[in-house]
Amino acid sequence: MFATDNSIRIIKLLALLLNGALTSLQIFFLTLLFSLPLGLLIALGRMAPQKWINAPIKLFILIMRGTPLLLQLIFVYFAPFYMLPEGFKFSLPRFTAAIIAFSLNYAAYFAEIYRGGIESISQGQYEAAAVLGFTKTQTFFRIILPQVIKRILPPICNEVITLVKDSALVQILGISELFRVAKNESSRIFSTTPLFVAGLLYLFMNWIVTRVFETAEKKLSYYH
Amino acid sequence: MQILKVENLYKSFDGADDVVTGVSFKINTGEVIAVIGPSGSGKSTLLRCLTLLEKIDHGTIIVAGETMVTTLPNGQVSYTPEEKLRKIRLRLGMVFQNFNLFPHFSVVQNITEAPIRVGGLSPAKAKDIAFELLSKIGLSDKADAYPYQLSGGQAQRVAIARALAMKPDILFFDEPTSALDPELTGEVLKVIRTLAAEHMTMMVVTHEMSFARDVADRVIFMDKGEIIEEGTPDKIFGNPTNKRTKLFLGNLNLNSGF
Ligand SMILES: Nc1ncnc2c1ncn2[C@@H]1O[C@H](COP(=O)(O)OP(=O)(O)OP(=O)(O)O)[C@@H](O)[C@H]1O
Ligand SMILES: [Mg+2]
Repeated sequence: MFATDNSIRIIKLLALLLNGALTSLQIFFLTLLFSLPLGLLIALGRMAPQKWINAPIKLFILIMRGTPLLLQLIFVYFAPFYMLPEGFKFSLPRFTAAIIAFSLNYAAYFAEIYRGGIESISQGQYEAAAVLGFTKTQTFFRIILPQVIKRILPPICNEVITLVKDSALVQILGISELFRVAKNESSRIFSTTPLFVAGLLYLFMNWIVTRVFETAEKKLSYYH
Repeated sequence: MQILKVENLYKSFDGADDVVTGVSFKINTGEVIAVIGPSGSGKSTLLRCLTLLEKIDHGTIIVAGETMVTTLPNGQVSYTPEEKLRKIRLRLGMVFQNFNLFPHFSVVQNITEAPIRVGGLSPAKAKDIAFELLSKIGLSDKADAYPYQLSGGQAQRVAIARALAMKPDILFFDEPTSALDPELTGEVLKVIRTLAAEHMTMMVVTHEMSFARDVADRVIFMDKGEIIEEGTPDKIFGNPTNKRTKLFLGNLNLNSGF
């Protein structure tokens, strides 16, 4: 009887934590979905020769990378309500606010990675493409970007691993993601087990992230 | 038939002294022109202006009777509208000193990409052309190799094939063998010789004087941004009239070269 009791408790705990992990995963995937393309746009704006384009984008990147993500979460959630004038006030759902803050923050980091990658491609590639008659768009998407992606995979992987762990920050907005669920359960049953299991789940997620990037790198290793 | 006409071309960088100072010349279809001159004389810059990699400050460039760029009486440089410019540009091919192959494409993709995407050929047709060119440059067995797997000489030959696949009216070469080990220059020069024998119109910037002498119909000597002297190889190498030409060729110690 005791053993069954125990296994039921473990299954219940796992179900609880996996439910939290599901929220973490939603934050993870939605953030990547928005921040990866947005980061590319920001990188292109950052490299634009026009000052009126690149200057505000530089400032944006500075703020996003220079202030705590935790603060940005709180800001996106509360600012529309507390800082806008009467009549314009609105409040975002917590989850939406979290996705916006994360997407903007990660887009800023991705943008700088993209920029580093794009700037590492030699001018000769652009010139060869231009002389062959490729348009600027064709040159970017067919010639430049594929080479950039190969070069930026390792730093992007770093960011993605960080994102898995950073997803725990959204608990500041009261969202029940993995870490918050584990913490609450820990205090309820006076045990560190839930936190420990949560740790294993984060580790597992990042093991998968690592594997995915390893596979991608291998796929692209057919050329130097 | 005249394929290229350049009139009074000037080019400087960021307000510094002119790098190309009033260059004028013509190329007829089938001609092979060698451009020689000391380092920094503006040979590369001239080629880059002709292939639209640099914007000119003054002058006129006419390709196959179509004005690519001209200078208005008020001194304003006027390029043909983008759409038409792209069409004219397709008549011009360029082979770079550093090959600039696309590393993520196989050899055959390097050659077919532009014919398919720019020229609108079907992939099958583009591939046929690519394989024809590969056999011509003696690299049929490298079709599926990637650029990193090629020697410099092989890479440059692929770069020539890539340019030829667009069927340009003129092919420009900027020191096509300067980045190669000496023992690899021969295979690249041989390809250019073959093209010359087929009357491909070419303008080749080169430091290979014996090559210029053998292959060129006409040699242009440039110094300090100007064309100092031009003529048949026999005239330029055998009997140059200008002091600077003599000095340059003398310094190269030609006698040991031939
Ligand atoms: N992008 C640039 N910006 C500024 N100056 C340049 C640029 N490109 C070339 N120059 C200058 O223009 C001059 C002519 O250079 P160019 O490369 O055309 O000479 P070249 O005849 O090809 O020489 P080489 O035989 O060494 O290749 C040089 O003084 C060079 O420093
Ligand atoms: Mg040069």
